Amino acid sequence: MFAYALRRLFSGALLLVVMSMVTFLLFYASSSTPERYACGQKCTAQQLEQTKAALGYDEPITTQWAKFAKGVVAGREFPDDEALREAAPELVTQCEAPCLGYSTGYGETVRDLISDRLPVSVSLALVAFALWIIIGVLLGVMAALFKGRVLDRGIVALSLIAFAFPTFFVGQIFLTYVSIRWGLVDTPRYSPIAEAGPWAWLTGLMLPAITLALVYMAGYIRITRAFVLETQTEDYIRTARAKGLPQRTVIGKHTLRAVLTPLVTLSGLDLAGLLGGAIITESIFNFNGVGKLSVTAIARFDLPLIVGIVLLVAAIVIAANIIVDMLYAVIDPRVRLG
Amino acid sequence: MSLTASSVEQPGDSEFHEPEGDDKAAGKVGVEGRSPAKLAWARFRKDRLSMVSFSVVVLFFAIAVLTPILVAAGVLKPQDSNQDLLNLMTGGLPTEGMSLAHPFGIEPGTGRDLLSRILLGTTLSMTIALSGAIITVIIGTVLGIIAGFTGGVVDGVIGRIIDLTLSFPSTLMLLALSQVVVDRMLDLGIPSGPNGAFVNGFYIVIVLAAFGWPPVARLIRGQVLSIREREFVDAARLMGASRPRIYFKEILPNLWAPILVYFTLLMPAYVSAEAALSYLGVGIKNPTPTLGNVLSGALLYADSYPLFFFTPAIFIAVIVISFNLLGDGARDALDPKAGR
Amino acid sequence: MGRTRKRFVALATSAVVAASLAACGGDGGSSSNDGVGNQEGQEVTEATKGGSITYLQSSVTEHLDPQRVYVGRDISNLGRLVYRSWVQFPSGTTDATEGTTPIADLATDTGTANEDATEWQFTLKDGPVWQDGEPITCEDFAYGVSRTFATDVITGGPNYIIGYLDVPTADDGSSQYKGPYTGEGQELFDQAVSCDGNTITYKFKKPWPDFPLAIASLRAFDPVREDQDKGDRSDLVPFSSGPYMLDGEWDEDSGGTFVRNPEWDGEEDTNRQANFDDITFEVGVEPETIIERLIADQGEDTTAIAAQNITSAQYNQITGDVAERAVNIQSPFTNYLVPNFNRIEDVKVRQALALATNRAAYIGALGGELASTPAQTIVSPDVPGHQPLDTFGSPEGGDVEGAKALLEEAGVETPYPITLTYPIGSASSENAFALLKETYDEAGFDVTLDGLDPSGPYYETIQKPDSDSDLIWGGWGADWPSISTVLPPLFDSRLNLTANSNGQDYGNYDSDEANALIDEALAETDLDAANELWGQLDQLLADDVAYIPLDTTNFYYLRGSGIENYVNSVSTSGYPDLGVIAVAEDAQ
Repeated sequence: MFAYALRRLFSGALLLVVMSMVTFLLFYASSSTPERYACGQKCTAQQLEQTKAALGYDEPITTQWAKFAKGVVAGREFPDDEALREAAPELVTQCEAPCLGYSTGYGETVRDLISDRLPVSVSLALVAFALWIIIGVLLGVMAALFKGRVLDRGIVALSLIAFAFPTFFVGQIFLTYVSIRWGLVDTPRYSPIAEAGPWAWLTGLMLPAITLALVYMAGYIRITRAFVLETQTEDYIRTARAKGLPQRTVIGKHTLRAVLTPLVTLSGLDLAGLLGGAIITESIFNFNGVGKLSVTAIARFDLPLIVGIVLLVAAIVIAANIIVDMLYAVIDPRVRLG
Repeated sequence: MSLTASSVEQPGDSEFHEPEGDDKAAGKVGVEGRSPAKLAWARFRKDRLSMVSFSVVVLFFAIAVLTPILVAAGVLKPQDSNQDLLNLMTGGLPTEGMSLAHPFGIEPGTGRDLLSRILLGTTLSMTIALSGAIITVIIGTVLGIIAGFTGGVVDGVIGRIIDLTLSFPSTLMLLALSQVVVDRMLDLGIPSGPNGAFVNGFYIVIVLAAFGWPPVARLIRGQVLSIREREFVDAARLMGASRPRIYFKEILPNLWAPILVYFTLLMPAYVSAEAALSYLGVGIKNPTPTLGNVLSGALLYADSYPLFFFTPAIFIAVIVISFNLLGDGARDALDPKAGR
Repeated sequence: MGRTRKRFVALATSAVVAASLAACGGDGGSSSNDGVGNQEGQEVTEATKGGSITYLQSSVTEHLDPQRVYVGRDISNLGRLVYRSWVQFPSGTTDATEGTTPIADLATDTGTANEDATEWQFTLKDGPVWQDGEPITCEDFAYGVSRTFATDVITGGPNYIIGYLDVPTADDGSSQYKGPYTGEGQELFDQAVSCDGNTITYKFKKPWPDFPLAIASLRAFDPVREDQDKGDRSDLVPFSSGPYMLDGEWDEDSGGTFVRNPEWDGEEDTNRQANFDDITFEVGVEPETIIERLIADQGEDTTAIAAQNITSAQYNQITGDVAERAVNIQSPFTNYLVPNFNRIEDVKVRQALALATNRAAYIGALGGELASTPAQTIVSPDVPGHQPLDTFGSPEGGDVEGAKALLEEAGVETPYPITLTYPIGSASSENAFALLKETYDEAGFDVTLDGLDPSGPYYETIQKPDSDSDLIWGGWGADWPSISTVLPPLFDSRLNLTANSNGQDYGNYDSDEANALIDEALAETDLDAANELWGQLDQLLADDVAYIPLDTTNFYYLRGSGIENYVNSVSTSGYPDLGVIAVAEDAQ
């Protein structure tokens, strides 16, 4: 198990290195000019050249990647131009390892920018996750128990309908009507749990979290339902029933455990994908998480920031894959890692 | 990474409303490759819900085929403005709702006929989704067959490429790459089409496929692994059939069931993806309508002109629901063991 | 991208320019929509002190650095809240003349010039201090303008000073002074800007008769204390000399809060009333959400304001008591199209385009007369010397027959293919361009719409001299109330055209006749005579069809019910004047 984990970690790290190269190639080698944004609208051609040099975009892409890689391992200093750093030490920004780069658009290191916004995305993802797992599994089990009846059909139909409308449409309805027009909840906003307390934190997150959870809920209802139905026909469930165990025990203990395995896998990976920011939901509700940060980064062609976010999200997904595989082995003893 | 079961199996990003549950099930449930098509069709026809969804899907394909003809004939006029029907004192809201001339009303600000725009938008959204799904399935199937049949190093390399692709945050990449890739495409001589509609639509198709193929490849690889040891493949190999022949003449016909199911689930996923991307400003742009950009333009009118706000959303929802039900129906028909 | 890339920059605000003058009375609003006010009803009264204001903002404030800020809204706000300069415009006035006449701020008077206006002197008042209690010095002023020369660090701001200051230029046309960070050429700068005790002297290479207007209109000439300057890292860390100072940090994506600056002396600085206790900028809220919240007028939003236009979809909600909280005035921004002279050489074809430009449909798609007014010249109506021209056809435009006739005269093959390049914005601005295309197509053109992201690709494309665009959108507001900040920056080929870029002369217009008129007008120190010459220039540009005017945007703003002393001052470019605004007693 330990050797397996180590091997997975190693291959995950390798994957990240390759990804950083691919990402660099995709963006830095592109024809568009990030210095254009930094320089502003009234920028002369000559100023543009200066800006390009100041940002270090005039160097070959391999050099730029090497500097980036060195920054991740050992940290680096900005601005990139050494002469300018020496002449004007007051301009220097220290970027400690692991340094993902420096965003000129924001005038901050990419790591600081991301770590400022990560709590927002993580909070949103966690609350949404809790919603869709709890409600999804609950409704899924209910649908399975009442298979073919009105309740079953109703749950399945409603979940499908909720899922069929685009997120931005649902979010807009929540925001316009539920929050503003009808005033049922306060304007959704993020308040850090440490400052505002858990209640304000949770209520501020509710609408966006529901919006996000609706996307996933349908899938979880359906998959839970399918697995419960499948396990109902398994021998050990029949045995449990035959022993005269109450329905609650059969469902709660035997069936759910069997359903847990695939759900852990699925939800772990879904959650991982969300931790790095839910772009649409954050944009609609104006949550300054990583998703919205990435949108700004893209609009401004802030390459270090784009690359930093891509790699962060990738790292989370890769890590989640490893964790989920380990969990899988713990939950389901039939699985052997090797 | 030995546990393929644990890897991400979803086309694109989940925020686009993918039927990931269904994909899972599609991947999990082994489809009896050789069950005769006729049997499946008979089972399918018995299911009322499946037949209804099938009819709706057929209707949407009919819309996609007929609309361009009606536009060319001048029956539908998606671009003609009717500002005389607007009240320019209230920000250009239409003075009328539904009418015989404009059954879905007209667009605030321009007075363009919404029926025409939504039907043409449906056509373009369906075209994008269809092309995207076809390319996704082709890439995924070809790579999946190669990986599964060849094994060894090739399988390993394809596996790593799959891991790499799946690790990218796809929504973010779709956004970030749009300007760069569209410029590159134009440089390569891909026609821009009226107001860039072609190249922008093409971009969406290509990038959706580029990030969407890995789950298909995994699914197909798994199927191939179980097929390749069967006698008829051995027989073909012994008879000296070439590899491509074995791939496409012997193995492919046994895969059509999972491919078909996956395909029906990709369609709605891509219709949703197009809408989400339109909202984020990527893809075909106004004045060329797609369901996504019509709906994005209507968001502000939730209150003042609900007809405009709800119609495109309902079109999207109906497409998504009917294709999903069709996919479920197809799976059940092809694999009666799957409990529904 | 993002929520739509497109939504990041609304059409009207995509002009990254400051405007100094606003409306002398928007006539559009009040007549058509019951209760919506124009500026005439806005009066400054004895206001209550105290309370908190929320400033809702959709687009981010990119720069708080005085030498880098170049967005009209931010220039106006910062000038009232944190930055003081030699001179300023009087607060809370809607009078066009009074509002654009500089009064003393940190200087003892409004400055003295030598005869040909090539040398200006200002003397610092005794007493004003920075937020840490240290006195503001003459050297701080000199240091402030020196920063503009560091073009590799201080980017994005107005750089007029580089063109005017008497600092020698290198062979490539750049200044030999490279800014205070490297210190290269410092002695050259010190000659041009020198302090003698409390008196500063600026030496220019050419006359600058309206220099005080520029000081009051922009923030680029404001003082900066050297020990507080960390280059790019100071961008969002304002060091205050005004009535408020930043509390904590400014987050570019969510904003920040300004609280009272205890060192500021209200007895001395009477122009800034500083009525409220603090103001919180809530940045990044979607435009329609801002308006929805202001309409709902709940909780903290009762003391909220915004420099955000009501979207046309929401016009029908502005009735009753909501309308009483709304104001509709003309903004200082004019939108226009330029034909690309490298591609459309025949003046008749350009004239045909001008005639076929359907302003009525365009404005209709934007939301009608509450949204904007047809323009008949590129010079905004509030700039002194503004003269409407009839060269571009009727105000409504869309003369299909006239355009057809001209195309026939020109003997060109129709349909004549045209690429119209514009920045992607809101849904309604997209529709507006789609309707322009409609009429052009009817008149014998075949228009391809080419919408590009204004945050980068747009300007990158249109500034290429060999771009494939035939017709290009532009938006402009005067940097200070003078035509000299409208026509020369846009059409002087010597300022704009280089091998790789056409600067802001997107149409590659290059006329010796126009350039000569510009020189003549700039050298003229008599205002009326200068305006006469500017008028001649504008007519010449119109005859050449160097541009086609579209519309002058309106500001259609809403505020919370607990806001008092709300004035869209001329002196703050029509943005809400934070120098006089207050919170009503019962809303505190």
